[in-house]
Amino acid sequence: MSLMDTIRKSAPGRAIWRTPRRVTDRDRAAAHWGSFLLHIYPVRMRREQISFRWSWFLGVASMVLFGSLIASGIYLMFFYVPSPSTAYGDIIFLQTKVAFGQYIRNIHRWSAHLMVLAVAAHMARMFYRGAYKPPREFNWIVGVVLLVLTLLLSFTGYLLPWDQLAYWAVTIGTSMTEFVPFIGGTVGGMLLGGTEVGAQTLLRFYVLHVAVLPTLLVGIIMIHLWRWRKDSMLDMEVASE
Amino acid sequence: MSDDKPTQPSNVRVLGFVEGKPLVGDRKVPEEEDSVMVWPHLLIRHGVVALAVMVFVLGISLFFNAPLKEMANPSVTPNPEKAPWYFAALQELLSRFHPLVAGVLVPGAIIVGLLALPFIDRNPDTRMRNRRIAVATFTIFMVAWIILTLIGFAFRGPNWGWVWPWQEWYGEL
Repeated sequence: MSLMDTIRKSAPGRAIWRTPRRVTDRDRAAAHWGSFLLHIYPVRMRREQISFRWSWFLGVASMVLFGSLIASGIYLMFFYVPSPSTAYGDIIFLQTKVAFGQYIRNIHRWSAHLMVLAVAAHMARMFYRGAYKPPREFNWIVGVVLLVLTLLLSFTGYLLPWDQLAYWAVTIGTSMTEFVPFIGGTVGGMLLGGTEVGAQTLLRFYVLHVAVLPTLLVGIIMIHLWRWRKDSMLDMEVASE
Repeated sequence: MSDDKPTQPSNVRVLGFVEGKPLVGDRKVPEEEDSVMVWPHLLIRHGVVALAVMVFVLGISLFFNAPLKEMANPSVTPNPEKAPWYFAALQELLSRFHPLVAGVLVPGAIIVGLLALPFIDRNPDTRMRNRRIAVATFTIFMVAWIILTLIGFAFRGPNWGWVWPWQEWYGEL
C-alpha cells in the first residue's frame, strides 16, 4: 500500500476524497467523479478522442497560454498605471529596474500572440473534424465567441505600452468602427472616450483588458468546457448503441 | 524470462504444469471505440502538452524581447501605419475596397457565417470525403485570409506600397 493510500484512508483523507479505495475501475471512477479538480473532465473517453489527431491538443494549448497570460499579466499590473503621463515610463522602469520585468513582459507578449494563433488553429481543426455538427452546434458557437473575445483581449492589451506602435495600431483599428452604419459612431465614441486615442481611451482599454474581458472569457470558457464534457459523454452513448 | 521455462521457487513443490490460455482469455487489442479512464490516459497527455507549450514560451522569451518604440506621439504618424497582425488582412482589404465593404461587411459576414455554420452545413457526415464542398469552401476562405494577412503584415511598406520582406522589413509584432 502506497503512502497515498495511507493518507486517503486516514480520517482527514476520507473527509477530502470520500473514496479511499483505489482498486477497481469503479473505485477510480468514483474518485474522479468526486474530485473538484477533475470535475471539468469526463471520467472515461474513447481512445480516438484522446489521440493527437482528434484535436491536435490545440484547445488545451490555448488554455495553457491563457494561464500563462493571467500569471504574467498580474505581475505586470503591479508596475503599471494606465495614464498617458506614466504608462510609457512604467514600461521602461519595468524593463530596466524590476526583477524579471523584461522577461515577464516578453512572456506576456509572446503568449498573447501564440494564444491568438492557437485559438484560430483550434477552430480550423474543429472545422475539419466536423465538430460543429450535431450534437456540438452550440459549443461551436461558444467557441466563435471565445475567438472574438481573444482578439479583443489582444487588441486592448496592444495599446497599454503607450508607444508609437501601440498608439497608431489602435488608431487604425478603432477608425474602422466609424464605417459601421447607425451604431458605429456611438461604439467608437464609447471605446475611445473622445474623438481620438487619448487618456480616456487608455483607461478604458486597461479596464477592459484586465477586468471586463478576462472575466467574460473565463465565464464563457467554463460554458465551453462544461459543454465539451457533456458532449463527449453523449458521444459515448451514441457509440454504445 | 521466457514462458517456456517457468522458474520454480526453491520452497515450493511443483505438482504439475497446466498448459493453456490465461484464465482471463486472450490479450485484448484495444479498439479506437474502446473507452479508457481520463486519468491517467488523457491527463498525462495534457500535462505533456502544457509542459511543451510553456517550455516554448519561456524559451522564446529568453531570446526575443517584446517590441517597444518611442513614446506615443499623436502629432507624428509613422509610415506605414500598421494594425496588429491579426487585423492585417482587414487592413489589406481596406486598401483595396470601400471601407463599408472591407471594414464592416467582410468582418461581419465572417463572424455571422462562422456562428451560423452548424445551421448552414446540414450534412451530418463528419468524414472528409463526404463533405467536399464544405471542406473546399472553408479551405479557400482560410487560405485567402492567411495570404491577405501575410501581405498586410510583411509585404507592405511606406504608403502601403509593395515591399519584399527579405529586402525591407516593416512587420510589427
